[in-house]
Amino acid sequence: MLAQFIVSGLALGSIYGLVALGFAVIYKATEVFNFAQGILMVVGAYLAVTATASLDLPLPIAVAFVLGGAALLGIIIQLVLIRPLAGQPILPVIMITIALSIVLKALIEIIYGVTPRSVELPLPTGGFVIGGVRLSQLHLTAAVVSWICMGLFALFFRFTRTGLLMRATADSQEAAVLSGIDVNKVNCAAWAVGSMLAAIGGIFLGKLQLASVDLEHIGLLALPAVVIGGLQSIPGAILGGLLVGVIEQLSSGYISPKSRDVFIYAPLLLILMFRPWGLFGQRELGRV
Amino acid sequence: MTVAQHPVIARGAVLAAGQRSIPWLRIALSILALAVLLYLPFVLQSRVLFGTRLTNMQLLNIGLAQVNLTLIAVVGALSLNFLTGCAGLVSIGHAAFFALGAMGASFAGSQLGLPFLVTLIIAALVGALAGVLAGLPSLRVRGLYFVLSTLAVHFIAAYLFSEFQYAFHDVAGVTMPDAQIGGFELSNGIRWYFFLLPIAFLAYVLFRNTLRFREGRALLAMRDNELAAAAAGIDVRILRLKAFAFSSAIAGIVGALQAYYLTTVSAEFYSLNLAIQFIAMIIIGGMGSLSGSVLGAVVWLLLPALIGGLATELKGSDLALARIIVEHKPQVVNLVFGSLVAILLIYAPDGLAGGWRRIKAWLANRPTGGAS
Repeated sequence: MLAQFIVSGLALGSIYGLVALGFAVIYKATEVFNFAQGILMVVGAYLAVTATASLDLPLPIAVAFVLGGAALLGIIIQLVLIRPLAGQPILPVIMITIALSIVLKALIEIIYGVTPRSVELPLPTGGFVIGGVRLSQLHLTAAVVSWICMGLFALFFRFTRTGLLMRATADSQEAAVLSGIDVNKVNCAAWAVGSMLAAIGGIFLGKLQLASVDLEHIGLLALPAVVIGGLQSIPGAILGGLLVGVIEQLSSGYISPKSRDVFIYAPLLLILMFRPWGLFGQRELGRV
Repeated sequence: MTVAQHPVIARGAVLAAGQRSIPWLRIALSILALAVLLYLPFVLQSRVLFGTRLTNMQLLNIGLAQVNLTLIAVVGALSLNFLTGCAGLVSIGHAAFFALGAMGASFAGSQLGLPFLVTLIIAALVGALAGVLAGLPSLRVRGLYFVLSTLAVHFIAAYLFSEFQYAFHDVAGVTMPDAQIGGFELSNGIRWYFFLLPIAFLAYVLFRNTLRFREGRALLAMRDNELAAAAAGIDVRILRLKAFAFSSAIAGIVGALQAYYLTTVSAEFYSLNLAIQFIAMIIIGGMGSLSGSVLGAVVWLLLPALIGGLATELKGSDLALARIIVEHKPQVVNLVFGSLVAILLIYAPDGLAGGWRRIKAWLANRPTGGAS
């Protein structure tokens, strides 16, 4: 049983890690703590519903449709909501992402109705057993795709010009502006990337369960994942996601599904009290 | 140019004269407001105003139950605004204290058999204790991290509530005992109204006076500049915990009142959404403004009622927009509510109360035609 829980925890955790990575990208570049990350994930799941149920697109085009839609949404959010609030204290910025999630949730329910929808993407659904541990192909695909995406984004940040500009902006907005970087464009890119990563997570979660606005709750698990890993650290976000996935499976399996939240948020509280910079983040020094 | 002709001095004189006459105006307005508030529940109950029958639309679709829930929400919004707007501690876990307060009151009322008013005090104590515990991370972390710790508190409290619900009650939710003061039972809407109205008023006065005294001023100083406040001899850490305990004690009472009024509350009621609605209220009303909290709660009352009324009017219409409003009423309410918050954040960060202040300031300072 233990091995089973850990394996499925790691698979789910890979999805959380992906969503958390999107969150960390947005946070690092724009310093916006994005409470709408959970609903952006749900948007991804519903875009997949549209692509398959209404438009009947083949798999590659459907995926491109979801990613394009998510990226566009991310850019619109940055231009319409986040940019006007540049330089404001944290509360208005957090609140506007909360307002965004209220609005997106209402729009989704108006467009798609309140009953959960199934995501019809032709992803492998069978399963196989290795050494007594049952592994579903969908979990495996989700994990592999997540890891590939994480790898691609790591390469993107390391080797592309946009990635370099994004890292520079994350380091210091002011210095980036002074060196002539178009920070607004970089921020748009960060929101596009963050929202795309959430959408990929959404496709898989929508396929594993059903597409519904209740998935937002699961998407919000990206927040503890990111903080447990360390807000400033991108590998930390991924590891945090894995950790949250494993904790979730263990607590649901051994204690009760309801206890999941406690076992995830109580460590978050402890981390915040004793090691606020996270397990893998760098300690932020306060200076007067 | 004589003194009286001088534009600035002349306006000053007018202002001074105006100030002398204000108390009468204010007293008259207060009496009028009081009369309206005292008459309101009877109008809502009988749907009759001075002998004339009113349609639902004329009453904005509002019933007494909504007004009572709004009175409770006013107190909740005040306590959140005190914490977030005045003390600068952003909390998205306020529903946690509602849940814990309701839990405390239910346990004291049903299991221990204590009277109604005592259970309210217990709810306040439970809230205060939880507030101190939830405030502990504030000793270490600031801003963003603190917001997250309130999120964690929310989920932990929601779990505790659901455990409590299943231990002592059933799936339907926690059923509260009857609300009785002495032999007097709060059995109908009008009785509740006259119980809740003074409570809301008292809460308002309590918060206003707290802000005027030493601790309140220290709190505002801490919000505006923590280092300066600490340098001025304020122990900011203790102050933060005190603010948290005070605000969550009131939130505990709010939770208990909510539960008593609704008679049954289940764990699903205390969702993150509930906490978010209260944040939306204080943003719409005005961060850090006590009258803004009241305004925000009133908007929260009026919006669903207005959209509900609109939906009834539009029923049968063929327009696509009309059909959306009729079929997706709760979603449209959320859509308008969320958009309102976003628009206010961008264009009027100090909310409706701030907008009103600016209009008043503009009226007072507008150039008068014949002055010069």
